[in-house]
Amino acid sequence: MLRNDVLYEFPPGCDGALILERLAQVLDPELDESILQLGFIRSLHLHDGHATVALQLPTSWCAANFAYLMAEEIRRALLTVEQIQQVTVRLGDHFAAEAIETAVNAGRPFDEAFPGEGCESLDALRATFLRKGFTSRQARVLQELRTTGLSPGEICGLRVGDVSMHGATCLARTAVGEMVTVGSATTMERYLERRRELGLDCTPTAPLVIDLRGQPLSGDRLEAYYRAARTVRVSLEANGSFCRAVLAVRQDVPQDVHTVDERRA
Amino acid sequence: MYSHNGQDLFVIDGHTHLWDASPANWRNSYGEAWIKCFYSFHQGLSPAEAVWPFEKFCRYGMETLVQDLFVTGYVDMGILNSTYLYEFYHQGFNTHVQNHALKTAYPDRFILCGSFDPRAEEAGLEAFRKMAEVYPIQGLKLYTAEWRNGSRGWRLNDPWAYKYFELCQELGIKNMHVHKGPTVYPLSRDAFDVHDVDDAATDFPGLNFIVEHIGLPRLEDFCWIATQESNVYAGLSVAMAFVQRRPRYFAEILANLLFWLGPEKLCFGSDYAIWSPRWLIEQFMAFELPDDVKQEYGVDLTLETKRKILGENAARLYGIDIEAQRAKLRQDPIGVQLA
Repeated sequence: MLRNDVLYEFPPGCDGALILERLAQVLDPELDESILQLGFIRSLHLHDGHATVALQLPTSWCAANFAYLMAEEIRRALLTVEQIQQVTVRLGDHFAAEAIETAVNAGRPFDEAFPGEGCESLDALRATFLRKGFTSRQARVLQELRTTGLSPGEICGLRVGDVSMHGATCLARTAVGEMVTVGSATTMERYLERRRELGLDCTPTAPLVIDLRGQPLSGDRLEAYYRAARTVRVSLEANGSFCRAVLAVRQDVPQDVHTVDERRA
Repeated sequence: MYSHNGQDLFVIDGHTHLWDASPANWRNSYGEAWIKCFYSFHQGLSPAEAVWPFEKFCRYGMETLVQDLFVTGYVDMGILNSTYLYEFYHQGFNTHVQNHALKTAYPDRFILCGSFDPRAEEAGLEAFRKMAEVYPIQGLKLYTAEWRNGSRGWRLNDPWAYKYFELCQELGIKNMHVHKGPTVYPLSRDAFDVHDVDDAATDFPGLNFIVEHIGLPRLEDFCWIATQESNVYAGLSVAMAFVQRRPRYFAEILANLLFWLGPEKLCFGSDYAIWSPRWLIEQFMAFELPDDVKQEYGVDLTLETKRKILGENAARLYGIDIEAQRAKLRQDPIGVQLA
């Protein structure tokens, strides 16, 4: 996950791995991917309890609202680390860097960063993209379930408790009690994680495939539902792929045709 | 014109610009940031041999454009998507006045787009009428993210926008190229939202809405709207550029569009000079959907579909008879040079 061209500097005795783990939890809400994996973190220095993070987005025109959300999340994530008492996020070359940095580093809300721009809170925006992320992650799960040859009825009959992770693999117990491989553990875990974050039922008896209102799907609805979900997935992933390509130019990182995201796809 | 196994494909590049983003024209740091952002798109997705120096990218001029589109780029006709950005550039970025020089020099090669800005309200209606009288405007480029006097943008379903659409109907200007791609404002909402297209397309069934950049990064919203509205089309610029370095996503984006919209509603565009038609078209013609994508979506990118995407669909929108147009183009200075 770590790139060797990113600068990390931690004082002796400090648990750098833990700090990076917290940082890795911060997602680009629009792309539903970790900003560490996306390469948006250029450096992180920690001195006397003060962390300074350089965040670099693909262009200086990247949306201010998403930039604010990421910067704020970084601050929040790092402040959960015991050795960190203060966080400064730097946005670098961005059209709204000053306004965003000033607000985020002082812990002030988004609407105060842009007085007179008629801003509202970003909560609704954040919620919208958490939901898109849910749909996209679920589309990956459904894609894998479909390729295992399970029928729509069988897929919709699965419960959360029917799936289990064995190393990198996800297994499911079918209605007849048979254990089948249904895809990768990461794909399933990412889906269940987001489902939990959205407050949707993840108890073992809950249906594995539910919509955003928490309602189970019937086998005859699954195909239409899946078609819409996969478009959301392609939209998010293709957009992420574009952002990576543009960011690589900014960072002067040589690109090869088969990037990480292409391989995953 | 692109020749494939003895068959000629008529090519309309649905998204081209002749811009001046040279430093002398920068009004402020936004002008510089804007063109640098475009340049990073150019560098990020072009093949190495097609990357220009920054100075050339800022201002390349008519001759370069004509060379890159028609002489080496297989294009028969180009649609000039005028964009103004007066708050970033002293003389504008690529206004219909600037683009008109090309239309004058090669009248049969170009479709010239004008524009309107509903925030000009009543006074703008008269100016719009005048523009349509003075210039051979066949379509409009609508850029809802444009800054103006402290406003950071507008929406297609604004009441004043509807007055302009009514005027378009009266004047017989039917094709609206709507930029729906990366924008920045409004700050606290999803600035990439494409839902205003839905309202406008429903309320003006006599107009066509070609959504440039297919609403990326909101492909799903765009597909939904385009499935509901018969007069909404996909302008493929930006998406096209995935073909070389992001082939998997190119395949999946295209498969989605073919699945939801079908082959009749997709129009090729290079977004020249961000990307050049030569490599885009060569790569596109050589491209096939991978088997798993074909199977998953139940669609295919056949030669027939490529032919529609590259030119036939846009020709239909603009009422171009391809055979008659070919005959004309053979006679113009570029056609003579190519013969």
